[in-house]
Amino acid sequence: MRALEEGLGTCPTCHQMVKMPKRPGSKYLAICPRCQSRVYPRIPDSIQQTWALVIASIIFYIPANLLPMMHVHTFAGVESDTIMSGVIYFIKSGSYLIGFVILVASIIVPITKLIILIYLLISVQKRSSLKQHERKKLYRLTELIGRWSMVDVYVVGVMIALVHFGGMMQIKAGAGANFFLLVVIVTMFAAMRFDPRLIWDTKE
Amino acid sequence: MSVHYFSCHECDEISKVNDIYKPGRYKCSNCGHLLFSYRPGMIEKIVAYNLAALILFFVTNYFPFLSFHVVGLVSHANFTTSIYYLFNEGEYLMGGVILMTTIIVPLSRIILYLMLCTPLYFGYFPRYATQMLKLIEKFLPWGMLDVFLVGVLVSIVKLVKMGTVIPGTSLWAFMIMVFVLAAAQASFNPHQIWDIIGEEKRKAGKETMV
Repeated sequence: MRALEEGLGTCPTCHQMVKMPKRPGSKYLAICPRCQSRVYPRIPDSIQQTWALVIASIIFYIPANLLPMMHVHTFAGVESDTIMSGVIYFIKSGSYLIGFVILVASIIVPITKLIILIYLLISVQKRSSLKQHERKKLYRLTELIGRWSMVDVYVVGVMIALVHFGGMMQIKAGAGANFFLLVVIVTMFAAMRFDPRLIWDTKE
Repeated sequence: MSVHYFSCHECDEISKVNDIYKPGRYKCSNCGHLLFSYRPGMIEKIVAYNLAALILFFVTNYFPFLSFHVVGLVSHANFTTSIYYLFNEGEYLMGGVILMTTIIVPLSRIILYLMLCTPLYFGYFPRYATQMLKLIEKFLPWGMLDVFLVGVLVSIVKLVKMGTVIPGTSLWAFMIMVFVLAAAQASFNPHQIWDIIGEEKRKAGKETMV
């Protein structure tokens, strides 16, 4: 028994079930009596908005990887680090654990998240009824791991705070860090806009 | 003993729960998503954890966070130093996001929890409870102190290669605060407070009817 078939909506804020007014179309709404939030049967335009945000974050992801995350100014000159060069530096110098953490947080997590979201969007648009439980687990995963990509941005922040010795040695943020930040935030919004209940809406 | 129905947030399946005040974890019958978990003493725990977190938050922001020594040069950083330098250099986006996710959102969540649960603990019903609880739920993914902890640890390992890093008092306070906040989040069950709010609204509605 599903809430949609019974003419009920679920309040997105307090999770109370609300009786939906009987009107055709997908954009009708009710007001939750307990918390006054707007209640839609499904998040309106969920698929379109998620697609838009996913495409935006793919576009941001390219400069995030190509442009430097931070510049290290020393008396000997300026050294710039991108995400990948940082990972390679750590693995070459023997700190495998840190290299692995950065590799997972800033390369594997965003790419996995985008691939999962694209797969979910396509399968929902095809109204596929295959592997619903697995797809639901994938969605939970994207929600859980999304925030952890911020690690790299915070690393740049802490480095800037500690290394500022005027002309001797100074660290400045690069343009890549800003784009990477946008990737993380936009993918978080994309995961929020996606409505997991659509995975189970396979009947016409 | 009243029968409650819950619709799953993930798959829209309606589940029946016979007694919502029986301790345990309640899962959706279709997809296994956790609907809610009930453990007695939630409000007391929330007040205690958040009071501890509030004290630790001030300790974190008052004492030095990290010190860094390279060949005779010394620099100290507080918890907010990175935000200060980012704003100085015109990196408003990065500075703003770090300010939001490590200071404003966590602090306002702690304060909102306290403002919501302290009156409930003493047996009063707080004003604006609905709005406060809504904000607490909305802010949940944007408080990233746990991610910041990993970021700090990674950058300590990075900096150790350049010079000497000395952790300050506030780093320890910050680590404890992350764990205290995680414990508070784990024991929080919004359904229980929504139930209290709904009950209160029903009472208020009856009074105005009479």
